[in-house]
Amino acid sequence: MSAVVATVPADSRWRDLRAMAAALRTSAGQAWAERGSLAVALLFYVVVVSALSGVWRAAATNGGGSIAGYSAIALTWYIATSEAAVMSVSQRLIEDTGRDVADGEVAIEMLRPTSVLGLRVAAELGRSLVRLTGIIPVGLVLAVVVAGAPPRPAALVLAVPSLLLAVTTNVTAQHAFAGTAFWIRHVGAAWFLYLKLVFVLGGMLLPLEVLPDGVAAVARLLPFQAMAYAPARLAAGHLEPWLLLGQVAWLAVAVLVARAVFRAGERRLQETGG
Amino acid sequence: MRALLATARGALQEAGANRAALSWQMAVMVVNDVVWIVFWALFFDRVGELNGWDLQGLILLNAVLTTAGGITLGLLADARRIGALVVEGGLDPVLALPVPTLPHLLVRRVMPTNLGDLAFGVTLFAVAGDPTPGRTAVFVLVTLTATVLLTAFLVLIGSLAFFVGRSETGEIGFHAMLLLAAYPADLFGGGARLLLYTVIPAAFVTTVPVRLVNDFDLADAALLLTVSGVAALAALATFQRGLRRYTSGAVWTQA
Repeated sequence: MSAVVATVPADSRWRDLRAMAAALRTSAGQAWAERGSLAVALLFYVVVVSALSGVWRAAATNGGGSIAGYSAIALTWYIATSEAAVMSVSQRLIEDTGRDVADGEVAIEMLRPTSVLGLRVAAELGRSLVRLTGIIPVGLVLAVVVAGAPPRPAALVLAVPSLLLAVTTNVTAQHAFAGTAFWIRHVGAAWFLYLKLVFVLGGMLLPLEVLPDGVAAVARLLPFQAMAYAPARLAAGHLEPWLLLGQVAWLAVAVLVARAVFRAGERRLQETGG
Repeated sequence: MRALLATARGALQEAGANRAALSWQMAVMVVNDVVWIVFWALFFDRVGELNGWDLQGLILLNAVLTTAGGITLGLLADARRIGALVVEGGLDPVLALPVPTLPHLLVRRVMPTNLGDLAFGVTLFAVAGDPTPGRTAVFVLVTLTATVLLTAFLVLIGSLAFFVGRSETGEIGFHAMLLLAAYPADLFGGGARLLLYTVIPAAFVTTVPVRLVNDFDLADAALLLTVSGVAALAALATFQRGLRRYTSGAVWTQA
């Protein structure tokens, strides 16, 4: 009897994992089929990186060749990578998830015998990974063409797993954030605020070293730096593998928080109705 | 004209019906705009002056951009949706109305979020734009001209959907225009700068207006007015020509 009890959760976990893998594959396939949208995302990425890195290169040249320890070339690789990390993820994920919670879509998904959060995160990861797969080669070519070879190829190699961790952490954290819709119903434009935190405190627009010391110290303690700064810092030539460890830690925290929020939210829906 | 004013009034009343939601959405956009000012403050704190631009110049640039963008995307919200309306059959109900199609489309919907941009832009100029009477008059003039250009650009690229069907051109053009207008054209190199004065005329939305507020020049003002006027005429002509090709985009015909 105890053996049966012990196997049920394991079966359940295995079923959840298989369902998540299927959701990831399906959404990735859909994202790949929508090549028009993918092309637009890539074009927009090129425009953004060209503009922002151009400004930083001009600033570095103006500042005697470097800013806060970053050369013009390093800044270009930094921006190409930080933008890749953020632009691979749907920017309105919080709004969309919040709307699905408020509209009862999530209540319907709860009828499935598998984790709502797991399926949603997996599906979004599928879409994000397709975008990331497209953006990485474009970013590499763009950075080489407009600036030059990467400052330190070994560090650039580490930037690839770091990008994967950044995207996964971002997707999971956005679900945790969107889960507040179980209580406040309309998270509305809150995604804008989240995004701005990633932009500045996450280091998407500028390296954390450019921030005033106090602000930079706070930013290093927050999860947003795991979503843009970490891979960008590596790609800019700083061989700092511990950045990956920090990302893994923040991903674990994001998973735990998102699970807790969704569990509590789903319980609330069961009690009060969707 | 009375019908258009009534439509615009109705759209404004609808947007303001839920005061709490309106305030929240406007506040979020103001925070968004403040972040950009913070970014530029940090940037110039490190860099000092760059190609003749400093923080004061960027504050003025953001005031022009958010005011013009707030009017176009807030008060003339459907300017951005022309392409989607064309391919999804959204023009059908408008064509049955006894009003000019394009003006009606432009004024019929207000986007509350972007009213936050408008409020922010005006406030930013009033607080940090050194608003002497002369500068204020030029600011109003160039912002309205930039609004015409921005709206015309959105209508023009949206109207391409009449000819090429479902396309992402409009969306990327919209984003590219707003993004590039957020930077002074003088920060870019030769090829990119040429692009900003021609294909994506973002320089005429912000860089040239800011230059005029700081140092008014009749030739530059005439050029800005001409570019905006030509863009408006081109947008109107493209929309009207496209409308003649439009039969119906009723959703069931796309099944």
